[in-house]
Amino acid sequence: MDTSSPSVFVNGALMRRYVGQKVRTVIQVIGSDIGSVVGKSTDDLQIVVRGSSPTPPLTTYLEVIGIAESDNAIRAETWTNFGNSFGTHNYNELCKLANGEFKHLFI
Amino acid sequence: MENSVTQDGIATVLSNQSLDSSSVRPEIVVQVVDLKPVGNRYTFNANDGNMKMKAMLPATLTCEIISGKIQNLGLVRLLDYTVNDIPGKSEEKYMLITKCEAVASALDSEIKAEIKASTGITLKPKQEFVAKSASQIINEQRGNAAPAARMAMTRRVHPLVSLNPYQGSWTIRVRVTNKGVMRTYNNARGEGCVFNVELTDEEGTQIQATMFNAAARKFYDRFEMGKVYYISRGSLKLANKQFKTVQNDYEMTLNENSEVEEASNEEMFTPEIKFNFVPIDELGTYVNQKDLIDVIGVVQCVSPTMSIRRKNDNEMIPKRDITLADESKNTVVVSLWNDLATGIGQELLDMADNHPVIAIKSLKVGDFQGVSLSTISRSNVVINPDSPEAKKLKSWYDAEGKETSMSAIGSGMSSSANNGSRSMYSDRVFLSHITSNPSLGEEKPVFFSIRAYISFIKPDQTMWYRACKTCNKKVTEAMDSGYWCEGCQKKDQECSLRYIMAVKVSDSTGETWFSAFNDEAEKIIGCTADELNNLKSEEGEVNEFQTKLKETTWSSHLFRISVSQQEYNSEKRQRITVRGVSPIDFAAETRLLLQDISKKKTSQ
Repeated sequence: MDTSSPSVFVNGALMRRYVGQKVRTVIQVIGSDIGSVVGKSTDDLQIVVRGSSPTPPLTTYLEVIGIAESDNAIRAETWTNFGNSFGTHNYNELCKLANGEFKHLFI
Repeated sequence: MENSVTQDGIATVLSNQSLDSSSVRPEIVVQVVDLKPVGNRYTFNANDGNMKMKAMLPATLTCEIISGKIQNLGLVRLLDYTVNDIPGKSEEKYMLITKCEAVASALDSEIKAEIKASTGITLKPKQEFVAKSASQIINEQRGNAAPAARMAMTRRVHPLVSLNPYQGSWTIRVRVTNKGVMRTYNNARGEGCVFNVELTDEEGTQIQATMFNAAARKFYDRFEMGKVYYISRGSLKLANKQFKTVQNDYEMTLNENSEVEEASNEEMFTPEIKFNFVPIDELGTYVNQKDLIDVIGVVQCVSPTMSIRRKNDNEMIPKRDITLADESKNTVVVSLWNDLATGIGQELLDMADNHPVIAIKSLKVGDFQGVSLSTISRSNVVINPDSPEAKKLKSWYDAEGKETSMSAIGSGMSSSANNGSRSMYSDRVFLSHITSNPSLGEEKPVFFSIRAYISFIKPDQTMWYRACKTCNKKVTEAMDSGYWCEGCQKKDQECSLRYIMAVKVSDSTGETWFSAFNDEAEKIIGCTADELNNLKSEEGEVNEFQTKLKETTWSSHLFRISVSQQEYNSEKRQRITVRGVSPIDFAAETRLLLQDISKKKTSQ
């Protein structure tokens, strides 16, 4: 496992803790433009993802890994289509646990 | 004085409310009118020509009535009596006679004031006596609400819990906490009718009492929901577990000779409805079982009433759904039917914003929406019960429950009921729970859900049998050709193979063997036994049969299993049978894991 460049599981609210660091999150795609995708985080906040998005079509859910530029923007390096059904609530809870009580279990 | 009553005798009685042998005895002679039996004793109206008063004779005098000494329209001298109020009717009183003697046999008519004023007694046409059926008599008794005797004073009242079939006479004092409808049946011995009541005593112990035919007709009207009765001369037998609805090892049968008297003058006791609450997150084990359960919860929301058409007779039935939550942070939907939907359901709707706590007795657990609860005719709903559980729940709700996000107990369950996934998420255990508990399933099979991996399928086991194509029973090779089915009593040229196999399963806590039958094994293996048999018979470098079994291993499934005990070589062994297999719903599994994490957190 590559641990040299860890990315933190985040939801919309947790982004501000990691500005300038590598994060990963899953968004529900709301719209896409050239060079950016606007999406909704699992805690219902708006996130703008910049960077060259993968070739369409995008599925409803998208995982992005990249640097948090601000508390609501990510410059993405990796884009992964996550399909059209996704347990957002579960993911959101995972983010909370991974940054809270069980932080020690994550890198 | 011979053939006449004491003038203003009743007034004397009323002013002299108790009379016993020690006090000075005013001579009071009254006429007995409207004499009739109530249970093992008689009541009548005491008549002095001016006034009438209800009176009851002691059981010890019943023989005097039967022998004709005391007669209707006859005269009696009162020797010992007390006057009591009829509860609820303060102006009306009745006299409980403990001693009296007959003075004269039946006069021709009831003594009337105006007659008395003139010449004493004149002849009047004798009142017509009509033979009455038992039910008519009962109706009349109910009509003028004959007061019951203080049976408790003469006999010791037994607590229900002390009754058993080997006891002589007993009297119980119980409240009717449920009354069934009169049902008719038709069997080899002919037609009949039956109904039953649930009786609860002061201590909250319950018993079911059943009445057939004549007894059913006799007591059907007498038993009224919520009223208190003295009952004696019933018989007890072991309760039929299949039909039992209350927690008691015995059930009672009342026959025509049983005594049932309303205890109207007793200080009313309120039996506590005894609840045996099942937490919402443990409802899964009760899905589609016969057991009725009790539940307590905070009302989250109340739906408007809906009309549901009943399938078997097309009748429209009102229904209302309420959602309850409890400390397990789960919610469950309870469907209130009929009167409960329109009556107490409306009440709940009006107060839903206050989130009352309600306790419901006797609910059926169904698999609609995963797990759901339904009222039946005997269900009982109590709003804001005055109990420690309710208080605890209310304070939990006010403190944190309101803010907590709840999950529906049935959510995430696959809706198809036949794959055994009904309560896959509610009675989840690990394998160690079963393997570490060798006596599990001793009394009756117990059901669980388990997420586990198939870890091994022995390729050289007998994993199928030859089955009849019509009835799936085992067939034997017939003498000439074809297969003989013992079940169908016929021969068929063909048979089909059906799985019966042992599979080894593992989870993080251990491993064990499951037995799987055809349908479930097909889902595990991914092909029919016939197909697998074909693969087995194929020769070749790569054995497709072995490959198929290998592919099957290390895949995870959700299993619905039953655990029972089986005797094998005079040794008891646990037998775990697969009742259903379904694919893993990862989102639902994750939800379950999150629940476990939060449960662990709160318990720390």
